[in-house]
Amino acid sequence: MSVDKELEHQFITNLEKHQNIAHKICRIYTNDKDAHQDLFQEITIQLWKAYPKFRGDSKFSTWMYRVALNTAITLYRKKKREIKTQDFDTVNFKIKAEEYNDEIEQQISLLYAAIRELNDIEKALVFLYLEEKNYKEISETLGITEVNARVKMNRVKTKLKSILNP
Amino acid sequence: MDELDLLKQDWKKQEESLPKLSYNDIYKMLWKKSSSIVKWIFVISILEFVFWGILNILLADGEYWERLEHLHLTEFTIGVYIITYGVTFYFIYRFYRNYREISALDDAKTLMKKILSIRKTVKLYIGYIIISTIVTSIIYSGFYIYYHGLDTQADHPEQYNFTLTQWLIFGGVMIIGLALFTGLIWLFYRIVYGILLKRLYKNYKELRKLEL
Repeated sequence: MSVDKELEHQFITNLEKHQNIAHKICRIYTNDKDAHQDLFQEITIQLWKAYPKFRGDSKFSTWMYRVALNTAITLYRKKKREIKTQDFDTVNFKIKAEEYNDEIEQQISLLYAAIRELNDIEKALVFLYLEEKNYKEISETLGITEVNARVKMNRVKTKLKSILNP
Repeated sequence: MDELDLLKQDWKKQEESLPKLSYNDIYKMLWKKSSSIVKWIFVISILEFVFWGILNILLADGEYWERLEHLHLTEFTIGVYIITYGVTFYFIYRFYRNYREISALDDAKTLMKKILSIRKTVKLYIGYIIISTIVTSIIYSGFYIYYHGLDTQADHPEQYNFTLTQWLIFGGVMIIGLALFTGLIWLFYRIVYGILLKRLYKNYKELRKLEL
C-alpha cells in the first residue's frame, strides 16, 4: 500500500470508529436529515483536509472535536432549504417512552427544544458539556478563558431553566 | 440535579439512534467538494481579480490608445496601469497568504479572526477600486475638457461657452454618475459578503462579548 493509500485507510478507519462525535454535532446544529448529511459531509472533508497535520500525540477523538465544531460554527455554509420541523422531533432526539416516566420525558423533550433556540456558541458549550469535557478543554476549543467558559455555561443553564419553568 | 445533568443521561442513550456510516460511505465523502465559506471567499476573490483584469484588457484596444494619445494621456494611463497591476498583485498575495493561514485546527475564535482578516483585505481592495476609479475619472475628465477645448475650432466660440448653470449641471451629472457607479459596486459587495459572512460575524461577536 502506498503512503497516501495508507493514510487514507488510517483516516477512514479512525473516522468510522469515532463518527458519533460528528453525528452528535449534526444533531445539535441541524434540523432535518438532509442538513444533517450535508454538515456531516463537510465535517468529513474538513477533517480529511486537516488530517496531514494530525499528529499521533493527541487522540484522534480530541482532535476531531475541534475540527468538527469549527466546521459547524464557522466554516460550514448552510444551504437554503425548506425546514421540515417534524423531522427534528421524529428522527432526531427520539426518546424511548418506556424508559421514562411522563414528567421526565416531557422535560427532556422540552430541553432539546430549548437547546434548538440557543445561538451557535451556546450550542457548542452545551455540546461540549454533554460530552463531559472539562472547562479547560471547552475554553481551549472555543478560544475563550476558562472563567468565561464557566460564566457562560452558568448563563446557559439559567436560560434553559427559565425556558422550562416559565 | 440540574437540567443539563438530566439531559446528560439521555444524551448517552441517544447514541443508539445515531446514523451509522460504513467505511465505503466515508470513503465516497472524501472526494466530494467542500462548500466552506473560506473556499467561497477564495473563489469570489479570484473572480474579482479576473473580472477587473479582463475589463482592463478589453477596454484598452488600439482606438482607445489613439484617443488617449490625442488627449495627451498615454503616459498617465501607462502609469495608472502599472499602479493598478502592482496593487492588484499585492492584494492577490495577501489573499493567498491569509487563505493559507486558515486552519480548522485553530480554536474557534482564532479561526474566525483569521477569516475576518480576509474580509478586511477584501474591503481594502474594494475601497481601493472605488477611490482609484473616482480619482482617475476626475483626472481623465479634466484632461478631456482641457484638450477638447484647445483642439476644437469653431467660428463662433462664444456660442459654445458654458454658462455657470450649464457647468453646474455638467458637474452634477458627473457626480451623480460616479455616485451611482460606486454605489452599485458597494451594494454588490455588501450583498455578496453580507450573505456569506453574516453568521460568522454574529458568532465572532458572541465570542468577543464573552471576553469583556
